[in-house]
Amino acid sequence: MDDRTNDRRSFLKAMAVGSAAVAGAAAGMLGVPGAETGFAGVARARAEGTRYRMAFIQWQPHTVPAAWSKGIEEVLTPQQIVDYELLDGQNKVEVQASLMDTLISQGASAIFLQPIDSVALAPSIAKAKRAGIPVITLNIDATEAHAAHVEMNHYYGAMDIAKAMGDAMGGKGKVAILNAPPGIIIRDQRTNGFVEGMKQHHPGIQIVADQVADWDRKKAQDVLNTILAANPDLGGAYGVNDSMALGAVDVAKEKGLLGRFVVFGNDGETAALESIEAGELTGTQYTDVYQQGRLAAAAATVLATGGVTAGAFAQQSRLLMPYVIATKANAGSIQPSQRW
Amino acid sequence: MKIRLASAALVLFFAGTVAFFSVSAPRFATASTVENLMSGFSFMAILAMGQAFPILVRGIDLSIGAIVGLVGMVVFDLSLLFGMPGYGIIPLALLAGTLAGALNGVLIVHLRLQPFIATLATLAAYRGLTYTISGRQLVPGLSTTPIRDPWITGIESYFDVGGWLGLSRLVTMPWVPLSFFIMLAVFAALQILLLAARFGRDIYATGGNHEAARLAGIQVKSVTIAAYAVSGFCAAIAALIMVARFTTATEALGTGVELTAIAAAVIGGVSLAGGIGSMFGPALGAFLLGAILIGLTLQGVPQFVQQIITGLILLAAVGYDRLLVLRRRRRLAMAAAS
Repeated sequence: MDDRTNDRRSFLKAMAVGSAAVAGAAAGMLGVPGAETGFAGVARARAEGTRYRMAFIQWQPHTVPAAWSKGIEEVLTPQQIVDYELLDGQNKVEVQASLMDTLISQGASAIFLQPIDSVALAPSIAKAKRAGIPVITLNIDATEAHAAHVEMNHYYGAMDIAKAMGDAMGGKGKVAILNAPPGIIIRDQRTNGFVEGMKQHHPGIQIVADQVADWDRKKAQDVLNTILAANPDLGGAYGVNDSMALGAVDVAKEKGLLGRFVVFGNDGETAALESIEAGELTGTQYTDVYQQGRLAAAAATVLATGGVTAGAFAQQSRLLMPYVIATKANAGSIQPSQRW
Repeated sequence: MKIRLASAALVLFFAGTVAFFSVSAPRFATASTVENLMSGFSFMAILAMGQAFPILVRGIDLSIGAIVGLVGMVVFDLSLLFGMPGYGIIPLALLAGTLAGALNGVLIVHLRLQPFIATLATLAAYRGLTYTISGRQLVPGLSTTPIRDPWITGIESYFDVGGWLGLSRLVTMPWVPLSFFIMLAVFAALQILLLAARFGRDIYATGGNHEAARLAGIQVKSVTIAAYAVSGFCAAIAALIMVARFTTATEALGTGVELTAIAAAVIGGVSLAGGIGSMFGPALGAFLLGAILIGLTLQGVPQFVQQIITGLILLAAVGYDRLLVLRRRRRLAMAAAS
């Protein structure tokens, strides 16, 4: 990721880069010489009446997997040959493993998976591989190599958030991190990238607190209030997801700090973009998660209709989603259809 | 006799459920579904049997999910942080779970706390302790390091029983996971304990009428502590099976399993009024819930429907239990009146 996306770059350009990345990834994904990659939604000739079964096992109900699922459906439904369903992992590894078992014995053509844990689902992925079923992971990779992994660019995105945040604060001051509970890779990537980014771009900024606020807006308000009591000169807060950042915005509003207090989120959900446009939230990392789902579905379609089995992969392909650091200057270029 | 009636009803219901899905759900009546049911829900059957003990002494154990998490993390740390061999880890894991369970019993007996409150408190405490001792936080690379110890991963192995018996030539047989045999061993041990040992008699007596049992010279305090220790011990076995299956432990491992285990125990005819129940019901109850989950998934029915159905079955089971209790009271009143 040498070509850093700066916040001036137009949104469309980022999306074009994304499409190119996908074409490349899809080509690389089929480690079979002469395999047709085709376009999303165009299946190869197939036996009359063939139906494919695909399912997405999500972590738990949330805006992000819901938007992925919508993107997946947009690609799969028009083809009229794929039965797709969204399955809920209920935030439990044993439920996800059991659903994987069920899909494997059902003979699914492809499985989309947002693993709760990278190691815990590895045996299930290995089992799917033995059955020839390609697995495509979303956002959280697994230690067992599989067909493809499509993820938001957590680490580099967080670095760019740190850069933009430091710029907004004039390169000096104190910031706090409102964090997720430990034990999740995404949390580590989004935290480490931010810390590293501050070190690189703005060594003058101090990270004075890093507190857990459970991904939650209400909790973030309480946590930030406590942090502010100890550090009244705090200049900004970084929420590891948008909900927590919006909680920080609530506190800034309440204390009359709006405009002086810099708040950045991460994800780019609709509520955050609206808050940015209203001049409250300073910025966030935006990823088009519909597009992320579409890419995963396009890859799965190619694999299933092309009859490519899990055994055909010499190595796992990895696709990092393009992103944009959305601020007041460019949030307007994110179209309504791209908001989730 | 009452137990037998409840069990017979459950067996019929289980058979009916299996028959229904075999007809209506594609690929339900296959060897691989049976295999998935055994490997995916044996640990739940063990948890449900353990949960039956606190319920038998008219208590409840809400902390088993947290004990699963705690024991899982003990296994994780001993294996990956301390490099201890698996044959040393397994007894320590079982000890940790048993002690955690016994502590529940001590709080209830000696601090006179309501079982619900005491185990709700330890649920939070044990889960917090799990986060505190988590090796995943101490050494960043460990969260992506699988446990490779053959003693631990060996728990997740499968046996071609059909092949040994020569049945595989006639019909495709499922491979039976070791966890299912462990479940059978736990079932046999606990059932014998309940029916043939003095401890079992004391459990039924304590749950049936606490005061009468105390007056009859039964050590009700020790019996209660032991019942919770059994629950913790079963949670530890379940944790070992889960860690073997996932080759890791997470801080959230086992979250919420207590509710499924309690549901399975109650559906299995263990009376919440105490003193009535066997090991057969909870084990079958757990597999029933598993069969419903798998069947509905194969049918393509959304999962929240499964939760609704589980709730309805639970309501029916609790209602039936209530009916039996009332009937028993009436009979006792009649006997007293005459």
